[in-house]
Amino acid sequence: MTLVTKSRITVMRGEYHVVDREDVVLTTILGSCVAACIRDPFARTGGMNHFLLPGNNGRSSLDAQSYGVHLMELLVNGLLQRGAHRHRLEAKLFGGARTIEGLSDIGAMNAEFAETFLRNEGISIVGGDLGGDRGRRVEYWPLSGRARQVMLSGDKGFVAPVPPKQPPVAPSGGSVEFF
Amino acid sequence: MSFLEHFKVLVVDDTTTSRMLITDALQEMGIRKISIAKDGEQALRMMMEQPCHMVISDFNMPKLDGLQLLKAIRSYGPTRTTPFILLTGKGDRQLLEAAVALGVNNFLTKPFTIPALKKAIEAIVGVLK
Repeated sequence: MTLVTKSRITVMRGEYHVVDREDVVLTTILGSCVAACIRDPFARTGGMNHFLLPGNNGRSSLDAQSYGVHLMELLVNGLLQRGAHRHRLEAKLFGGARTIEGLSDIGAMNAEFAETFLRNEGISIVGGDLGGDRGRRVEYWPLSGRARQVMLSGDKGFVAPVPPKQPPVAPSGGSVEFF
Repeated sequence: MSFLEHFKVLVVDDTTTSRMLITDALQEMGIRKISIAKDGEQALRMMMEQPCHMVISDFNMPKLDGLQLLKAIRSYGPTRTTPFILLTGKGDRQLLEAAVALGVNNFLTKPFTIPALKKAIEAIVGVLK
């Protein structure tokens, strides 16, 4: 497929983007955060969000989930407003790594939340990659549904996303495409 | 029986997970009689058949949105004064003004915490015990 990617949108933590242009790629960097990439192949619209559930220190788990539900809802509602149908939505999930040894596995909590949410809403999961102990750079072409991830080189201390101006690129290999 | 055991709340949201969260939070507060509707149309039908004591509704829903539901509830005699809490996204000032004009009792900005939801309810019905 020859396709010129004209614009690249970086989805930062707490954000979501919905697009209906073929030449746009959505990209993000994930540690224990999770990004849901969702599209409606017939309505030709798709998008990505990027969330990290707040920890349970003093909060109830319902409060933490409320935050995640909100970011998932924003993405799904954004798609529906562009003509998508709920039953046609398909999702790929990325992230949820265990990036810091010894702490509670926030990555797994995020991944589990995202999977449960999609199951509850009847949105099928068609691909993606969750877990592990390394960060990822993810690219998603919302109209074709193509996704590519590059595992960040084995630095377990990686936590926060790098600002969009200097995206780290893995020097060698580790790039996997998810169709 | 205490007030909480009688208090009937209708939760309206098109997102299943969101409905589950709100329902769990209400149960944590001791509210036992909770009904759920997945859109404004279903909520309106339920309110006409059997009105409840409070409606907690999302704004962004298919068929009938939260504002249209509020308008319909306010124009139907038996539910004209039913307390209504609207759940909205951030920065919807115009929406809030429209809701106030239609007689909304309180609102909550998503994502909200359980204590915030409790406060929003207590501001209308008094302290939940």
